[in-house]
Amino acid sequence: MSSQSKTAELSVTSGAANFLRNYYIYFVLVAVVALLSLANLDQFALFERGNFLNKRNIINILRVSAPILVVAGAFTLLMVSGYIDLSIGSTMGLTAVIYAMLAINGMPFVPAFLLTMLAGAVLGAINGILVVRLNITPVIATLITLSLFKGIALLLVQDGVSAIKSGGGLKMPAWFNDYGRDGVFLKLPAAFWVAVAVTLVLIVVQNRGKLGKYAAATGGNPTAAKLSGINTGRTVFLLYVIVGVTAALAGIARSSFMSLGDPLSGDGMELTAILVVLLGGTAFSGGEGRVLRSFVGALIIMALTVGMLTIVPAYYQTLVIGAALLTAAATNHLVSQKGKVS
Amino acid sequence: MSSVTDTLPTRPTRSKMSDEGFISSLVAAVAISLFLIASLLVPNFFQWQNVVNLVTNNWAVIALGVGVSFLLVSGNFDLSVGGIVALSGVLSVWFAQSTEGANALSTGLGLPYGLAIACALLGALTIGALNALFVVRFGIPSIIVTLGTMMVARGIAQVITHGSQRNTNLPEAFGYLGNLSLFGTSIKFPVVLMGVLLVVAIFVERKMVFGRITYWIGANPEAATLSGIDRARHITKLYLFSAGIAGVVGILLASEYKSGFSNRGLLMEFDALVIALLGGVAIAGGFGSVIGMFFGAIILAVVTSAATGLVLSPDWQFILKAVAVFLAIVTQTWALARRNK
Repeated sequence: MSSQSKTAELSVTSGAANFLRNYYIYFVLVAVVALLSLANLDQFALFERGNFLNKRNIINILRVSAPILVVAGAFTLLMVSGYIDLSIGSTMGLTAVIYAMLAINGMPFVPAFLLTMLAGAVLGAINGILVVRLNITPVIATLITLSLFKGIALLLVQDGVSAIKSGGGLKMPAWFNDYGRDGVFLKLPAAFWVAVAVTLVLIVVQNRGKLGKYAAATGGNPTAAKLSGINTGRTVFLLYVIVGVTAALAGIARSSFMSLGDPLSGDGMELTAILVVLLGGTAFSGGEGRVLRSFVGALIIMALTVGMLTIVPAYYQTLVIGAALLTAAATNHLVSQKGKVS
Repeated sequence: MSSVTDTLPTRPTRSKMSDEGFISSLVAAVAISLFLIASLLVPNFFQWQNVVNLVTNNWAVIALGVGVSFLLVSGNFDLSVGGIVALSGVLSVWFAQSTEGANALSTGLGLPYGLAIACALLGALTIGALNALFVVRFGIPSIIVTLGTMMVARGIAQVITHGSQRNTNLPEAFGYLGNLSLFGTSIKFPVVLMGVLLVVAIFVERKMVFGRITYWIGANPEAATLSGIDRARHITKLYLFSAGIAGVVGILLASEYKSGFSNRGLLMEFDALVIALLGGVAIAGGFGSVIGMFFGAIILAVVTSAATGLVLSPDWQFILKAVAVFLAIVTQTWALARRNK
């Protein structure tokens, strides 16, 4: 009914709208950081200097952010192709358990790391098979695996113990913490730099690679993509595998940071990932979205959640994240020209 | 949700059972055979009291399943119900607690109980209205909206209870409704209410215009709009309906336990979705029935209680749910395809 006038209006303001769509995320990041730095954090013991822009605080936030930073890019590509993975939290929990089990039983760092990544690829491939081969709706397929992977992770941990950790004759090796905690460059740990590297690779893939173009084509118009000879099934399958691998990297980062293999350590990760990707302006109808903007979105959410802990009690967190999710979805709808799904 | 022209049920001839009837009977048959198999494996499983327990222990999830099923049939998700259960329960406690408590968690607003539950229900309906606003007006996918409102509802409950629970300074009447036994048996008022809700829902779904419109919208949203159905209004009603049920469930659970606990109803939204899917409700909309959902709940109840009876670790329940949903979806797709070949 009002679609004609709406189109006209959009074309007039499209220059401004485009600018807003491309760069608003950076303004949000600056605004969040500025607000948090202005808040008086003196009375809280978490940060030594009572200042958000304190060096230690920034390092700390970036260290804790490694898991979400590493998944954000791959998750963006998956959503660009019009699909979703609700199982990443469980994948993360299960791979964290696997990694900790391998390490505590004496396997050295490199093989344990590679095997866990392989496990993540297998878990992602299971999602891919359910969605692509068996044609189960992505939401349901990944809800099934959410439950399945979580169940397996819980079973791997002995009854009566909440997580894989030192004790009962087994001891975590000394190197276990290094990946997630030890500063290797600019005092930031390897986990963070791996996240940066993964994001850089995915940015190149999105801008130059076939996979990025195929993902956008699949999400924009699946039928047209198929007709023009793109193997959409293989594209989606591959994206699920990549998401699985990055979720495994997130699991390793979290497990190394906390020095235990907690089967529930990834709980709620799928929500954070959706939130971050929507905040980055990825259209939920698929077809458009940027890896880099999701990375910035992840930085915003982590700054907000960690910063918030210093201002309000922890029990405000669920409410704030939920409200942020709704706000991001609504803003995304207003900014995106394609927000017309029903 | 996307339209599903290719899964439109073919009009059955009079002699042939409808596809929905076929799937419902299939689900019922599976539920009964699973019960019999469990009876063979688990000692003391085959008892009348156990059959009753399978239903009465799951009244909350089955009640939530009614609203969730109607929404799924219309092509929309509702994952906010678990959060609403926590919110309305906590609100009813907070409103009813007397004003002079020893500390923050024992001080409430001191409203009379009737008014307190009315206001708590209003809170639940507000979340439903929020769902409708975002899904219908803004056109944001329902899965994302209702995940967000679930967190908002539970988040408010956590803020009110400071992340734990409120259970002191409550009026005498508070624990009445949730623990009221009817007909001199162990069957409680909430269970009876769930039964009434089921019967009404089946009647609405089969015989009333409201129910049939829900199917049309799910089967083909465009055609429904073109034939003069106010889709926005109808889906708004469905979200309010679902939130209302979740609100009542929350209030009754709070009354049963005489406490408002911010983690109550955790994962109930997933269980409600799981039983609807087990019962043959199609995620794409336009297909499914409340009877199927009910038997889906029985399947889940039999599987989980049999697993507990076989002394499997409780961690198994996640895997069992995953396998059950997977098998249900694959078999139902296969059975329907075979039948309509």
